[in-house]
Amino acid sequence: MNCQQAYQLISAAVDGELSCHEKEKFFQHLAECTTCTEEFNDAMKTKLIIKERIIRFTAPQTLINSIMHLTHHCAQESNL
Amino acid sequence: MNNDKQNSKIPAEQSTSSLSVIEYQKQLEFQKEAVVHLNALYNYALHLTMNTDDAEDLVQETYLKAYRFFNSFERGTNCKAWLFKILKNNYINIFRKNSKEPGKVDYDLIKDFYHSIKDSSIDTTEADSDYFHSLLHEEVYQALHSLPEEFREVIELCDIEGFTYEEIANMVESPIGTIRSRLFRGRKMLREQLETYASQRGFHGGTDR
Repeated sequence: MNCQQAYQLISAAVDGELSCHEKEKFFQHLAECTTCTEEFNDAMKTKLIIKERIIRFTAPQTLINSIMHLTHHCAQESNL
Repeated sequence: MNNDKQNSKIPAEQSTSSLSVIEYQKQLEFQKEAVVHLNALYNYALHLTMNTDDAEDLVQETYLKAYRFFNSFERGTNCKAWLFKILKNNYINIFRKNSKEPGKVDYDLIKDFYHSIKDSSIDTTEADSDYFHSLLHEEVYQALHSLPEEFREVIELCDIEGFTYEEIANMVESPIGTIRSRLFRGRKMLREQLETYASQRGFHGGTDR
């Protein structure tokens, strides 16, 4: 595997989406290539940052209530 | 069941008891499968609309459609992915109808929006000397929104929502290879943006491991 091929697999490697075969080849290449290793680590880190730092908001209670009401209402409608 | 005309006159509250067993089961299953993803959908809607009212409408509309077509949901597959796809389609329709411009980034809006709902729920992560850990939630949020729509979208679906490539490919209707490369390029752009923020605040790449 050369750097160009490895490059194309970086995101899939980060996300655990490589096939067994690809995985083996990819990490074999990383063991020999510091540039690709760095790219891989950077991508891993970026993913982690997004996961950690992005704020998750809680849906307002009014929305929760209206969804519950909505399904209830639909159920009644289709029952009549 | 014995008299339809009489039944239709019963006020909404009372007719609850007349729910058929099948309808009741559907409702229970829907709550177990679909309503549990309400928070995720709300967050996704917020990311798309940048507006709490629009986000709420979008989520409501999504659940309404999802419930109506719940029978077409393939049991055993990822219900969250199914809901996200409905929400995305709804979003596209609404924005096309209103000829709004999705994907246009207004930084002031992001800031205002961010501050307006900031207090609702912030997880407190421990401080760290690593310069990436010095980044503010707001900066990551802003950096993400500075990316072109197609890159931001896959990052959100993958890194925030945890969908598989196959699910994402299905949602955005692009091949898996495209998802791979968008994720790679998107993360690279995002990182460059974050490095800019970090260096503006006096942190330098050198302190990074």
